[in-house]
Amino acid sequence: MRVMRRIALAAALTAMTAGAATAATRIDFFFPVPVDGALAKEMQNLVARFNQENPDIEVTAAYTGTYDETDIKTRAAIKAGKPPAVALMSANFITQYHIDDLVEAFDPLVRAEGKAPEEFMDGFWPALVGNARVDGGIYGVPFQNSTPLLYYNVDAFKEAGLDPDRPPVTWADWLEDARKLTRREGDKTTRYGIMLPGTYDILGWTMSALTLSNGGQYYNPDWGGEIYYDKPSTVGALTFVDDLVHKFKVMPEGTIQTPAMNNAFFGGQVAMIVSSTGSLSFIRQNMKVPFKVAFIPRNVRNAVPIGGASLIIPKGNSKERQEAAWKLVKWLTSPTVSGGWSRFTGYFAPVKAAYELPEMKDFIDKNPDAKVALEQLAFAKPWFATYNTVAVRKALEDEVQAMLSGKKTPAEAAKAAQANADALLKPYVDATALNLPK
Amino acid sequence: MAQALADAAIVGPRPERLIEARRTRGFVSAHAAFWLLAPSLFLLFLFTYVPILEALMQAVSLEGFGGKFSGYGFGNFQRLFADASFWKALSNNLVYGLGTVAPSIALAVLIAVALQDATRLNAFLRTVIVFPVVLPLVAVATLFAFVLMPGVGLLDYHLAKLGISGTNWLGNPDTALYAIIGLSIWKNAGYYMLFVLAGLQGIAPELHEAAKLDGAGAFTRFLRITLPLLKPTLAFILVIAMINVVTQIDHVIVLTGGGPSDSTNILLNYIFQAAHQQGDSGRAAAATVISVAALLSLSVASLKTLERGMHYES
Repeated sequence: MRVMRRIALAAALTAMTAGAATAATRIDFFFPVPVDGALAKEMQNLVARFNQENPDIEVTAAYTGTYDETDIKTRAAIKAGKPPAVALMSANFITQYHIDDLVEAFDPLVRAEGKAPEEFMDGFWPALVGNARVDGGIYGVPFQNSTPLLYYNVDAFKEAGLDPDRPPVTWADWLEDARKLTRREGDKTTRYGIMLPGTYDILGWTMSALTLSNGGQYYNPDWGGEIYYDKPSTVGALTFVDDLVHKFKVMPEGTIQTPAMNNAFFGGQVAMIVSSTGSLSFIRQNMKVPFKVAFIPRNVRNAVPIGGASLIIPKGNSKERQEAAWKLVKWLTSPTVSGGWSRFTGYFAPVKAAYELPEMKDFIDKNPDAKVALEQLAFAKPWFATYNTVAVRKALEDEVQAMLSGKKTPAEAAKAAQANADALLKPYVDATALNLPK
Repeated sequence: MAQALADAAIVGPRPERLIEARRTRGFVSAHAAFWLLAPSLFLLFLFTYVPILEALMQAVSLEGFGGKFSGYGFGNFQRLFADASFWKALSNNLVYGLGTVAPSIALAVLIAVALQDATRLNAFLRTVIVFPVVLPLVAVATLFAFVLMPGVGLLDYHLAKLGISGTNWLGNPDTALYAIIGLSIWKNAGYYMLFVLAGLQGIAPELHEAAKLDGAGAFTRFLRITLPLLKPTLAFILVIAMINVVTQIDHVIVLTGGGPSDSTNILLNYIFQAAHQQGDSGRAAAATVISVAALLSLSVASLKTLERGMHYES
């Protein structure tokens, strides 16, 4: 609450006064790093390069923790009247920023350069546009993005008599492979076929991936007041997962914490897991035996949500600072910088042109898993974003966790999740779609 | 004669003057005390009392859609009490409190009494037991994430030898809170033991020797001498332990984030979720006021109860 905000504010103020006294426009850039320290350092390097190339601007890059913490700190700074000029924000938070009227639209900046906003967005992968444009305006510029992938253990595939070059394509294949891959000794399971991450945040993302693969839309991408938890596409996805656990017993019961899932994959206690493309380098570093990646299997169609973060310009910045911020945003999303960051982190580059660069073509040739991630992008959809996204997401996650522990059936879980989510969405629905002429 | 002398000795200087002198001295020392305390008071005021007042204000300030101020009232409390997650967090916190406070204090007393003699072995064992205290809670939680892993974790590895295996401690809503309670006891018992050891130093050995001569056994001596004399120490530990129940949260955030299905969501995490994940600062402030008020009254009540019949040694 206020106390936390005060601390965040103090930190923000310290960061702001740290810049040197020059005539250049001084701006702040808040950025999170979800993985490790090396990325934060690389970001500082990038900003130093930008400052050198643009002597009229001095950017102070402030590492602000995780995606969630960056959200908290950015909001605190805006409330205190000292917003950063640029913040790297989880792509599905942008809808809420727009609803709260806390972000500037990029459209005027794009138009000032004689470009149409559509033309500007055309430079990015189509899947990313949904989270960047809200109510017709561009409120976020994609910077680093991911999709879920199926990771599988090559040795386990061979041992089970499966061809590691032919990963499961449909849910039917997926189940069949999982049954072959599950190894039991008496009543003990020494290797499970599948594990899905059950931790808050990634659980909701994984469930939306399965719902999309089941033909669903999961949420209303055009208006933040609707989520489709009790629709057949979602109920089908929930039932499939419940069957994997309770009917076919190819996945362990209960919520699987993400570190436990990763460890089980490294240790050979599970043959297939679902994880982000952003985890590619982490898994590559820790996995001792060969593994491969594949598309998320489909029941109705191939489709996955994107993840990742976009650059925003919070409200409350002067024209001059907005101009400087825009320069930084354009520089960070230029093909060269974007491609370099992609190769360094494992995220894919949001700008299509980045993949035309020779160094990027070379990289894709040498890293077949990065190629799979890139190809799946053609089937990617926006990340679900509603009013009060985090709470709405948790409404489903709590019910799925109960289902995974055998306390609720998929139908009960879907119904309860829908009721809870609707209650959370009500204030926004009342203020918009049900706010009718009297 | 003797009486007269004694009276004179008692009366001494004229009473009025004595009172006056005391007053001036009291005034001067109060002044000095105030100025000596002023810097800390100023900081306390700025960073403790002002935020407390702000939290109270925020709890009764109502916001409409989009965070627009719409007046004062108890609407935040009404919404809080109507939220099933709040009651779940409150009951989780009660279970967590009951499950951690009594066992960790009992364990602390037991270990302290067992290790109170200053032998070399005891010194070593004390160090071993205090070790978890020096680890940050975040680090402990990260360690336990591995210890508690189903199949590969240390706990499961040993339990498997007893024929119990594959328990997903943190992934099952029925066991997750108890796993977190176990971690808290492991982490805190050593800390409380330090206080008990200090308390034991204050008990005169003559008392035990006298009781021994009277033929009292070790258990009787523990029950009739050690425990009653430890009461002030225990009262202090109890308050510290209750504060820990409400303020320690790192392990929950690292291990479960309050899940699965809200089964480990305790009040502080609930407040964090309301404030930062749902942007509902009014409800978060109301929950803060409730939990701090509950903590304060519990602490006062426990100190009062334990102070009754307390033995202080002169």
